[in-house]
Amino acid sequence: MTSEIAVKMTGIVKKFPGVIANDHVNLEIMAGEVHALLGENGAGKSTLSNILTGLYRQDVGTVEIGGKKVEFNSPRDALNAGIGMVHQHFRLVSTFTVAENVVLGESDSSLFMDQKAVATRVQELSDRYGLAVDPSARIWQLSVGEQQRVEILKVLYRGARILILDEPTAVLTPIETTELFKTLRVMVSEGRVVIFISHKLDEVMAVSDRVTVLRGGRTVGTVNTRETSTTDLASLMVGRSVEFNRVVRQTPADRERIVLDVSDLCAFDDRGRVAIESVSLSVSPGEIVGIAGVAGNGQRELAEVISGMRPITSGSITVDGESVQSGRARSAIAKGIAHVPEDRLHTGLAAGHSVEDNFALKNYRSMSRFRILQRQQIRNQSTHLIEHYDIKTPGSETPVRLLSGGNVQKVLLAREFSASPKVLIAASPTRGLDVGAIETVRERLVQAADSGVGVLLISEDLDEILSLADRILVMYEGRIVAEVEAAQADRARIGLTMGGITA
Amino acid sequence: MKRMTKGKFAPVLLVAALALAACGSDGGSSSTEAPGTEAPGTEAPVTEAPVTEAPVIDCAPEEGPLKAAWVYVGPANDGGWSQAHDEGRQLVQEHFGDAVETTFKESVPEGPDVAQAVEDLIADGNTVIFGTSFGFQDAFVEVAAANPNVCFEFATGYMKSDNMAQFYGAAEDTDYLAGMAAGAASKTGKLGYLASFPIPEVVRGVNAWTMGVRATNPEATVKVVWLNTWFDPAAERKAAEALIAEGVDVLGQKGVDSPATGDAAQAAEGVAWAGYNTDQSVNYPTVWLTSTVYNWDVYEIPRLQQVLDGTWTSGDYYGNLADGFVTLAPYGDLVSEETRALIDAKKAELAAAPGSQFTGPINDNAGNEVLAAGVSHTFGELMSMAYLVEGVEGEIPAG
Amino acid sequence: MRSPVRLERRLEQPKWLNWVVPLASLVAALILGALVLWITGKNPFDVYQRIFERGFAGKRAFSGALEMATPLAFTGLCAAVAFRMGLVNIGGEGQFYMGAVGASYVGISLGGSPTGITIVLMCLGGMVFGSVYAAIVGVLRARFNTNEIITSLMMNYLAAIFLNYLIFNSKSFWRDPDSPQFPKGKTLNARADWNTYSIFGIDLPIAFLIAILAGSAVWVLYKRTRFGFEVGVLADSPKAARYAGIRTTSTIVIVMALSGALAGLGGAADVGNFRGLLDAKGIQMAGYGYTGIVVAALARRNPLVTVVVAIFIGGLTKAGYALQGPDFPSGLVGTLQGLILFSAVAGEILIKYRIRTTPRRSEVVA
Repeated sequence: MTSEIAVKMTGIVKKFPGVIANDHVNLEIMAGEVHALLGENGAGKSTLSNILTGLYRQDVGTVEIGGKKVEFNSPRDALNAGIGMVHQHFRLVSTFTVAENVVLGESDSSLFMDQKAVATRVQELSDRYGLAVDPSARIWQLSVGEQQRVEILKVLYRGARILILDEPTAVLTPIETTELFKTLRVMVSEGRVVIFISHKLDEVMAVSDRVTVLRGGRTVGTVNTRETSTTDLASLMVGRSVEFNRVVRQTPADRERIVLDVSDLCAFDDRGRVAIESVSLSVSPGEIVGIAGVAGNGQRELAEVISGMRPITSGSITVDGESVQSGRARSAIAKGIAHVPEDRLHTGLAAGHSVEDNFALKNYRSMSRFRILQRQQIRNQSTHLIEHYDIKTPGSETPVRLLSGGNVQKVLLAREFSASPKVLIAASPTRGLDVGAIETVRERLVQAADSGVGVLLISEDLDEILSLADRILVMYEGRIVAEVEAAQADRARIGLTMGGITA
Repeated sequence: MKRMTKGKFAPVLLVAALALAACGSDGGSSSTEAPGTEAPGTEAPVTEAPVTEAPVIDCAPEEGPLKAAWVYVGPANDGGWSQAHDEGRQLVQEHFGDAVETTFKESVPEGPDVAQAVEDLIADGNTVIFGTSFGFQDAFVEVAAANPNVCFEFATGYMKSDNMAQFYGAAEDTDYLAGMAAGAASKTGKLGYLASFPIPEVVRGVNAWTMGVRATNPEATVKVVWLNTWFDPAAERKAAEALIAEGVDVLGQKGVDSPATGDAAQAAEGVAWAGYNTDQSVNYPTVWLTSTVYNWDVYEIPRLQQVLDGTWTSGDYYGNLADGFVTLAPYGDLVSEETRALIDAKKAELAAAPGSQFTGPINDNAGNEVLAAGVSHTFGELMSMAYLVEGVEGEIPAG
Repeated sequence: MRSPVRLERRLEQPKWLNWVVPLASLVAALILGALVLWITGKNPFDVYQRIFERGFAGKRAFSGALEMATPLAFTGLCAAVAFRMGLVNIGGEGQFYMGAVGASYVGISLGGSPTGITIVLMCLGGMVFGSVYAAIVGVLRARFNTNEIITSLMMNYLAAIFLNYLIFNSKSFWRDPDSPQFPKGKTLNARADWNTYSIFGIDLPIAFLIAILAGSAVWVLYKRTRFGFEVGVLADSPKAARYAGIRTTSTIVIVMALSGALAGLGGAADVGNFRGLLDAKGIQMAGYGYTGIVVAALARRNPLVTVVVAIFIGGLTKAGYALQGPDFPSGLVGTLQGLILFSAVAGEILIKYRIRTTPRRSEVVA
């Protein structure tokens, strides 16, 4: 590792109306290192990387690349200076091939590209960095992990020396994550720089050389990874120490009764392929049943089927013995099924709608007289929930999309919990939230269970399931492949089952 | 603001009795009534006074030049109907110089917009308004009733009042002559004809043209295509190309206003074109034969003179070859000297006896006799023609 | 790429922007227009004065503007209702024709019924025809996910062919049998029932009052009712709507039917209040349906503003006729009208984005 400074950002200030996203942020990155950028949601990581990639322009402050001061007016300027970004949401054309996507948007690409030369070059890059992907495959044929590799190849193909990866592991399986980390190490060994944005402390510890922690738009500090620990980083990040231990339940589950009973369920996914195959499960009042598994193994579809958003092809769902109509969300709601979907902003909420409208999203029918909405009633409900759930919003009429991630989730939880459900389906309820918000959400889930709600917790975060669930089911390729009591759960064993290995 | 269809209505039907009085055609024998043009309730504002009793309307200004305006349904440079009218307007302007001030409104869609445009013209001091599209008629009748001191001149309609007159002319005579040039130019004996709507004016044109064709090329057939539009260059061109693809080597048109057919002919090999409305011999020299040309100024100049003289009265006018209201455009190079001589001879004949080409024996294209030898159509029959003559391939659609 | 000026999406849209920007863009349009006029040798002040005088000011001008505005208000509402839910209904044109067909059927059939009943029944006839015609597009979209832009556009051509058939190529109920030489629609017995009121010397067609009523009803429907709430959620996020148990397919069909009913109501107004017959060629030339899309876009989908914008466009159309002549080609009139519309759209962008300026240096500097 050399000690040459590759990127130096000094005194960066960026204001948005009403918010200071970056407040005199300093960042210094050495050549040949993986530098982690750690911080809660809203800490200013995205703004900082957007400035570095030319998407935004700082109000105050300087950016130096390789010791030279630069001013970027567009992402292209940044690219020319050797900076490339791999976004969390891929920007790929799904009907194009890998090679075509790699050259797409190249400034000097001629109208007719030399397919063969591009493919050869892509192959070279993918061999060198262990980014296994077929250059002639079409994007829609690829797994999410492979698509991410294409994004990385795209950036490398354009000769980026400085790569920014925004939450790259969010979509990856543990094995893919390990492979990605290897790739990153190869890249830095060649003197490139990797800026790794993440919330996941373990990963930061595993892959980075140094870590810069941001909090509330300011730099809290930069530390050498070898000289720190997850606990230290967590406290830097939130400003206080947080523990993830197994939650103590006040009221144990009533295992004698069953509130949600699902038997022999089958359903298709959006593309008409079998997504759920003969799934049977039951949840008792007050019980938290965790569903573990790598994303894409039918969990999302399972949540949608139980909450009536997706029709079933066979099987049955009952709540307290009453059956729920297939594909009828209204029926599921009426039977007392609450649902916290994975995609909160666009499924669980109507992002462009106000906080109060979102509170009324499921009960607006009862808040109307002669089909005319009773606005005052809706407002009262909103005022009550905002206070009761401690939601930070400028007002009842503020669009939900303007709230921070944690508050968005609180709006959703407030609505679902306040409907006094019998069953709660929660899919990745803490994904993308900061540590403080994660804590709140988990507390709320436990409270719900304590009050007798049967909770089905679907999460890719094994730690979350281990710390919350009473019973754990593992899903793999649309089936339930394992079931264990949380008390007897063996982490390594579950990890293997998630990867399809049943012993 | 997009307009999907541009068009104009140019059918004409003159109430037989009035028409006979106005144009002095030979119909001593005729008492034919055009059916139903006087449907009760539809023409309430129109007074049915005989022309001779129509009062003199003084629409000359008290001071300054006489202001006259034309209202077009299409663009003034549409290369067809509206352009022909605008060329007439320019000739009027040239003729009167400072004594008359002319203006126009173009691309006025039929309907409520017409009254708006005309009211603006009246507000600007125009006292003579020329309407040039059949679909303007209802609006003109209404505005005329509201403005009794303004003179309205309407082309190709039939509703009259004390201050609203009608004018049009015998295009079937020049259509026949153009057909003679077309027949002579055809080598394959297969000709194509683009027609707008199956209404008497256009049917008359189809028949006259076809009879002209068979005068110089007795075995020839004319395939007619109804476009159901007055102005749609894209559709016109497509139809023309389809006819060419079927082996047609001469194209004619009636009622459809653009020179798109000429474009199609020019793009093909060895196809000749007889146009409609305006002289396009300069723009399409390689395919041009000839065409009917309306000289609107032949009517309009004397009428404005009457306004200036304080002698204007309402009336009906049906012009012809003799007074120069309709003429034949200059011949193209494709028309031989021999053919020209033939046409010129027939022209003199038709000038002396308008409509005389429709003299028996004439059979329709289903083989039924329409006119026995030596019998001619009355003016009323001409104005309500609803059959296709022998030699026309096609039929009049239902309705 | 290296422009010193660029657009940045606004995170929030301050309320004052909603009225300052449209006004500012109108001013910008007038300045741009003045420039164009000045270049073509016209006196901009004279031209603007004439637009104002003949399009808006005074009883006659405003009466004309209202008359021109009436059909546009209906087609504007038609487009706005669908836009509101993210449906692009280009088919207002065809739905307007069908409404005219339905209303004229009723109007011809009725004889001697009381005024009120005649108007109500004609409106119903127009709405039923327009809404059924639009609902076909809605069903195709909801059931088979076909693109409503394409189907509704195709349905316009079909409606035009149908109109031509009724009046030109058949002996239909609508065609005047006493006028075979000049194919045209039967004149309505009921024409006189559609009043045009004179209020302070301004001619107010009853159809325009109906348009205001319809606009208000749509406003209430979308702002205050359960159905409006459901439409809003669907427009915002179809997934959230599915999640909340809102019936997507039926809502799409109902919104399309409502959109078509409004255009059909316009068709009824056209037949009843203005033409007095089914004018197959005239209504095709007018292109109200297409202009209505512009009206709705300018009104930013607000039903009440749509009615106001219709008056504005109606006045501009009327003023356009006053302007043109031998030395003022209709193309120049169109350019002026286009500039105003273009500025309005540009203003819309400014509401959503803000302009950032950066120094001209863009290269890496030492």
